[in-house]
Amino acid sequence: MDAMSLPALPLPREWELPFDPPPSPAPAGSRVVEVACPTGLTAWLVSDYAGVREVLGDGRRFSARPGQASHMLSAFDPTSEPDGFSRMDGPEHVRIRRNFAPQVSHARRLGELKPLVEEITDRAITRMLASPQPFPLHAAFSTAITTEVIAELIGVPPAQRHLLRNAAQALFTTTTTASSLEAALSPLFGYLYQAVASRRAAPGDDVLSRMILQGEGSDRPLTDAELVDMNAALLIAGFDTTASMITFGLVALLNTPGEWDKLVADPALAVPATEELVRYLGVGTGLLRQATEDTSLGDQEIRAGDYVVVSVQAGNRDTALYPDAEILDIARKPGPHIGFGHGAHACVGQQVARMELNTVLAALATRVPALRTAVPVSEIEWKRDSVVRGPVELPVTWS
Amino acid sequence: MKVTVDRDRCIGAGNCALIAPAVFDQELDDAVVVLLDPSPPEDSRPAVQEAADRCPAAVIALHH
Repeated sequence: MDAMSLPALPLPREWELPFDPPPSPAPAGSRVVEVACPTGLTAWLVSDYAGVREVLGDGRRFSARPGQASHMLSAFDPTSEPDGFSRMDGPEHVRIRRNFAPQVSHARRLGELKPLVEEITDRAITRMLASPQPFPLHAAFSTAITTEVIAELIGVPPAQRHLLRNAAQALFTTTTTASSLEAALSPLFGYLYQAVASRRAAPGDDVLSRMILQGEGSDRPLTDAELVDMNAALLIAGFDTTASMITFGLVALLNTPGEWDKLVADPALAVPATEELVRYLGVGTGLLRQATEDTSLGDQEIRAGDYVVVSVQAGNRDTALYPDAEILDIARKPGPHIGFGHGAHACVGQQVARMELNTVLAALATRVPALRTAVPVSEIEWKRDSVVRGPVELPVTWS
Repeated sequence: MKVTVDRDRCIGAGNCALIAPAVFDQELDDAVVVLLDPSPPEDSRPAVQEAADRCPAAVIALHH
């Protein structure tokens, strides 16, 4: 079918339905439907839980080569040569992934990081409580915390942290062109190349130095380009996605009757609340894969080379995951949700993101129990041209 | 209950070691799963099952 006559890939419309995935255009009884994506790509849309897990969990049949969001982002060409670990498959991808996993997803390392995250969060709440109301939570709290955490983790000094913001803004905006993306990323990449060189010469006690030292001990040491790519990805994705989830999550928590009160009554619920918010709100614009062979999804034949978009948020609302999956319930026992993705490319920073979210939620419920949004949800301004969803800003009050 | 892990495909996401630390640990140098107890006691079944269900790379298997 030609792209003109296909239904459009359904995208979240938070200004109409703030917390829900858009309805799929798939005919009743059909799991898979062909859609036209914003970049013009034609893809099979998969929205059921089992189907999303099947696609993301099988990197052999469904390659990450086109790029995770090339169906949304104009700056990316899904047919171009893969330029980083997020577009690699199989052992090549695992090799890179294992280089930074010890720094961001090792249980013992996370234990060492926890006091830092708690301290940064506590300072941010103290600043917030001393500020005039309404208070701009997204910029002055959520983004401030996640920027400081990831910058401290990787060892980016305060004077260079604006480079992250500029890079993330360009990278996640759907309308950014390839040339303007390159221009926006180049200062951060330039900084990271210098940082790699200086850490090679004089290692410190930061993630970048540890990655270099660890790589030097392996059979195939990581190149400077690989180290820069990985660290840029950690830095850019590491603050913006997590900040948006803190802000978006708080909108949902504060405006779903009873949920905030449950957290205030028992701040230990911050741990399951984190899983529930990521399940409920995560990855609204979906993830892209490409079939490597002729195959099928349910009854639908898929040809080698066909693109597949999986709707993670819709999959997480499937009754196959929970009978009442459409309900936000922060006390729910965490299950195998796919809000951090699934398969070999599941979110690299998921444990750090979890720690930030549950630390922030527990601390706010304890220190600012009267927190509320200062405007009705219907008046919130939402990001519309970004693959990282959530409010542009969120005014809040507490007295 | 018998537990097996496929270390070759492990991506070191760490969920297992956080969910069931008595059964799973991780290597220090690459975060790959270390199976501490291949025959864990029956009362650890819910945690081991959760670790298997929430492993993004699906490398943990339970055999009765």
